[in-house]
Amino acid sequence: FTGARGQATGLAQFEAFVVNVRQGQATFTQTVTAPPRQGEPARVRTSRGEFSFLRPDRFRLHYTQPFEQLIVADGQTLWLWDPDLNQVSARAQAQALANTPAALLASAADLRAVRQVFTLSEGEPRDGLAWVEVTPKSREGQIQRMAIGWRDGALVALDVLDGLGQRSELRFGPWRTQGLTAAAFRFQPPPGAEVLRP
Amino acid sequence: CATPPPPPPEAAGRRWSGRLALTVHSDPPQRANALFELRGDPQAGELLLSSPLGQALAHVGWDAGGAWLQRPGAAREPYPDMAVLTETLTGAALPLAALFDWLQGRPTEAPGWARIHHDAATGRLHAQRTAPTPLVDLRLTWTPSP
Repeated sequence: FTGARGQATGLAQFEAFVVNVRQGQATFTQTVTAPPRQGEPARVRTSRGEFSFLRPDRFRLHYTQPFEQLIVADGQTLWLWDPDLNQVSARAQAQALANTPAALLASAADLRAVRQVFTLSEGEPRDGLAWVEVTPKSREGQIQRMAIGWRDGALVALDVLDGLGQRSELRFGPWRTQGLTAAAFRFQPPPGAEVLRP
Repeated sequence: CATPPPPPPEAAGRRWSGRLALTVHSDPPQRANALFELRGDPQAGELLLSSPLGQALAHVGWDAGGAWLQRPGAAREPYPDMAVLTETLTGAALPLAALFDWLQGRPTEAPGWARIHHDAATGRLHAQRTAPTPLVDLRLTWTPSP
């Protein structure tokens, strides 16, 4: 299937990504726009870091600016390390991650599995990207809708509108898709940090 | 979702953003890790809590008339005051007036709470509530917004 500019459709690129891209590592910039307020300018927070994943169930989200925060899913446990708070929080991965954007990208086996939880539709091409619109089937979750942007098979954008009207826009840099092993997704709490276990 | 009315101008001024980790050592323990945006003062203000990945978890507001809590996809819940609201939301009533003082570097005492580490210059607080039980552990790191 092809969309605008002869580029494969968003859905086709998403399917290929989920099935064929077994691992990946890229820098990202995240812009979070707080819910709109009457008569006030939008309040925007920008952060940067690196995202990596190894299917079926490992990922690493390392925020480096404006502060450091490390989130690691090692297959069983979801670790959150905040150096400023000097605390590590560990949770059972399955519960903590169910239906989150990170799990959608890093852990989905195929689009059939994704469609059990989300409604997928081809979005309008914009910004030179092909888009997939993703809407949760359950209304109780935190997320209203998401949009995933693709260019020539590469994941470029992840936009999330949550249930309170806050918008998160992630833009990924070039992907490296080899060389990662499970070791890259292990987490060892630093000495002296308070560790809260499940 | 309805756009909340802004708090009164004089309360809207001060603003802080940062991260918090709250542990209530009940059985089972209750934990929260969140990014926060706080504005206003103990009389009137708002608090927006987001997950570490940037999704809003809860939007809270208060004024002389009481407090309200809005969760994603849910109706706004009214509460008599912030003590009842924070007890319901986190498992522990948080000392709102003392929190605003701590954020501004004032060493205010709050009944049952001890400040283990408090440095407003670097934006760090570690406080514990030892009475009443259960033990509550609160860690904050923040930067005053411009």
